[in-house]
Parts: sequence; structure tokens; C-alpha cells
Amino acid sequence: MEKALGNYLVRYPNLTDEELEMIRARMEVRELAKRQLLIQPGEQEEYLNLVAKGVLRKFFYKGREEVITQLAKEGDLISSSVSFFSGQPSQYAIEALEPSTVYAISRTHLEELYAISPKMERLARLVITDLYLSKEKWEQDHIQFDIRQRFVNFVHNNTDLIQRVPQKYIASYLNIKPETFSRLKHLLKKSPLIATLS
Amino acid sequence: MQKLEQETYWKLLFDFLQRYVPLTEEAFTQWRPYFEIREFGKKRMLVHKGEIEDYVNIIAQGLVRKYMKVKKGDVTLQIAPEGHMVHSERSFHLRQPSDVFIETIEPTIVISISYDNLQALYQNDPLAEKLGRLFATEMFIIKDKRFFDILKKSTREIFLDYMKTHPQMLQRVPQKFIASYLNIKPETFSRLKHLLKKKV
Repeated sequence: MEKALGNYLVRYPNLTDEELEMIRARMEVRELAKRQLLIQPGEQEEYLNLVAKGVLRKFFYKGREEVITQLAKEGDLISSSVSFFSGQPSQYAIEALEPSTVYAISRTHLEELYAISPKMERLARLVITDLYLSKEKWEQDHIQFDIRQRFVNFVHNNTDLIQRVPQKYIASYLNIKPETFSRLKHLLKKSPLIATLS
Repeated sequence: MQKLEQETYWKLLFDFLQRYVPLTEEAFTQWRPYFEIREFGKKRMLVHKGEIEDYVNIIAQGLVRKYMKVKKGDVTLQIAPEGHMVHSERSFHLRQPSDVFIETIEPTIVISISYDNLQALYQNDPLAEKLGRLFATEMFIIKDKRFFDILKKSTREIFLDYMKTHPQMLQRVPQKFIASYLNIKPETFSRLKHLLKKKV
């Protein structure tokens, strides 16, 4: 657990061992079986989760359709974040696609950390800013790139997820119709990377 | 646009900041020199694509649009009236060239803090860290909700919700910008506007 946490936090400004320990002491381990839900729509999100092992998907229901907005693997944060930060009921569900382990911090424990030191405020500010900027990037990618480019970018940046996540979920995440997804796969077969898909 | 007294802008800033953190008058006196008041005419660029964004701006008066240029034309990402914040976020935080343009629609006055001043303020007052965290959280929530709405709601719902929460925008903003922001085709937008008229 220390390792996953340390790896995650190393991106952020120099925390002392003591500070790292203060954070670690407030985190808990949550184990999930395959297909187990971390949260359902209507519940209130109590945790920010750091994925130590496994893959999870975040989605909401549009009628009977499931729309996936995040696929998280080792080293990623996943949470029904708007619910977590705003206290409103979650509109999302989060489900483990593999047996997974996450390290979680509750809202109460996070508030405790803020009270201890402004450095924790800073850490949280930077983490939240990163979450925010990744949303911004997602939006800009959708505007800038056509479906084919988004597909290629995703495949190149997420070779492991391609192996681990059912194709229909990846198609949903990329906002690509399943039949288009299959066609793209076919078109790009020449690339050895993408050949692994078929 | 009727320009206001200098002090009025500082009062606006004070009230704005107080919505997030319990800032005292004394502390605000310390904070004030970090900020500046900037004035722009109509159709002026706050940031050009390729430039590094140097400011976070709070709009005191006027109206600003953030957009990208792509093959099929401009895509509007944000329409910001008084009281809203606008900046080229990824450029500002990651110190990389901006992918977006930020341009005024009306003559505009913004209260701004530069990247360097913001970092200095974070260093000098822990309360600023809290403010920064709360800002980032709020912007994250707004952004997440916007994507959720676009993915989940029908075009008609998106249109009606926006018109309900921003009743004055149709008067102030060219229709094509609003349509683009809501990801609605211009012809669909016109049709929806007609429906709205009947209701009112």
C-alpha cells in the first residue's frame, strides 16, 4: 500500500516521511471482487479511491444504456467525485472489471488532513486541479480529434487496457458506436499494436 | 459600459473571495496588490492560441467567450458573464501554449491574478491554498456536470435548462455561440427557440 501511495504522491511537492505517514494512517484498503460495485447511483460518495490493483469503470445510466466516463487502472484515482466534493447523491456507478484493490480516503479523514497543515491543502489543490485538467483535455480531444484519431490515440496510450477491458466498454468510453469501433479495428489491423485487438 | 470607481472593483473582488474563504478586511489589504484590473474593448483577445496563459480572470463587467478553432469552424467552450472566472486552464496550470482562444464579446473589465502572483500568494498565506483548493473543486464540479448533461440529456432539455438558468444570454450573445456551446446545430437551435416563445 505504501508503495502505491508513494508512487502516486511522488508527482506532488516534497512531502516528508512524517506527512506521508499522516496520510497513510488515514487511508483504508478496500477489496473488490470482479463485478462488485464500489458505489451505485443515489448513494453518497464517501471516498476518493486510488487503484492499487485492478481495473474499474465509472458509468451512468441513460435509459437502459450504460455510458462510461472513466476506465481506471493502477495508479489512477477513481471516485464519484462530484458526489464526494458536493455531498449530493451520486449519479454514477463504479464497478470493478477485475478483482481489484483500492486505497481509499474518506471525506472526514481528508478534512482532518486539511486542518493539520496547509501543505495538505496544497496537495489537495494540485490533485483536484489535475482531475479538472484531465476533464478539460477530454473535452478538447473530443473537439479536436475525429473518432478515428481518438481511437488511435487511446490504443497507443492504453495498450494494457485494450487487453483487459471488454471492447464495448472502450467503445462507450470513447463515445464511439460499437459497429464503428469494429470497423476502426479492422481498418487499423495493419498496425501490430492494434492487431492484438482482433 | 459604464466604468465603475476603482474601489468598486476591489469590493467586487472582496465579495467574490469571501464566498469561498473567511477573508478579513486586513488580510484582503495584503492580498489586493497581487491582483490587477484589466480593461478590454469589444472583440479583444485575452489569450490567443499558442500563447501561454498568464492570468486567471474574474469578470467584473462584460462578457467573454472561450473557443477552439477546428476544421468545421469555431467551437465555443465557455460563455462567461459577470461573476464568472475564465482562463485557459491547461495552459495556465501546465505552462504550455494555449489550445484555445479567449475573446471578449462586449467591452469587458476583468480582475486578474498572474501565475507568478498566485504562486506567491499561495506561499505567503495558507488561506490562499484553501481558496485555491475550493476554486479547483468548484470548477471541477461545474465541468463534470456539463459533460454529464451533454452525454445524458436530450437536446431539448439542454436548451431549456440553459435558457432557464441564463435568461439574459440570448440578448447578449450571438445565437451561434450559444448553439455551439450547447452542442446544438444552429437550425435545431432556431427551432427550439420558437418552442420557447410559445411557452413564454
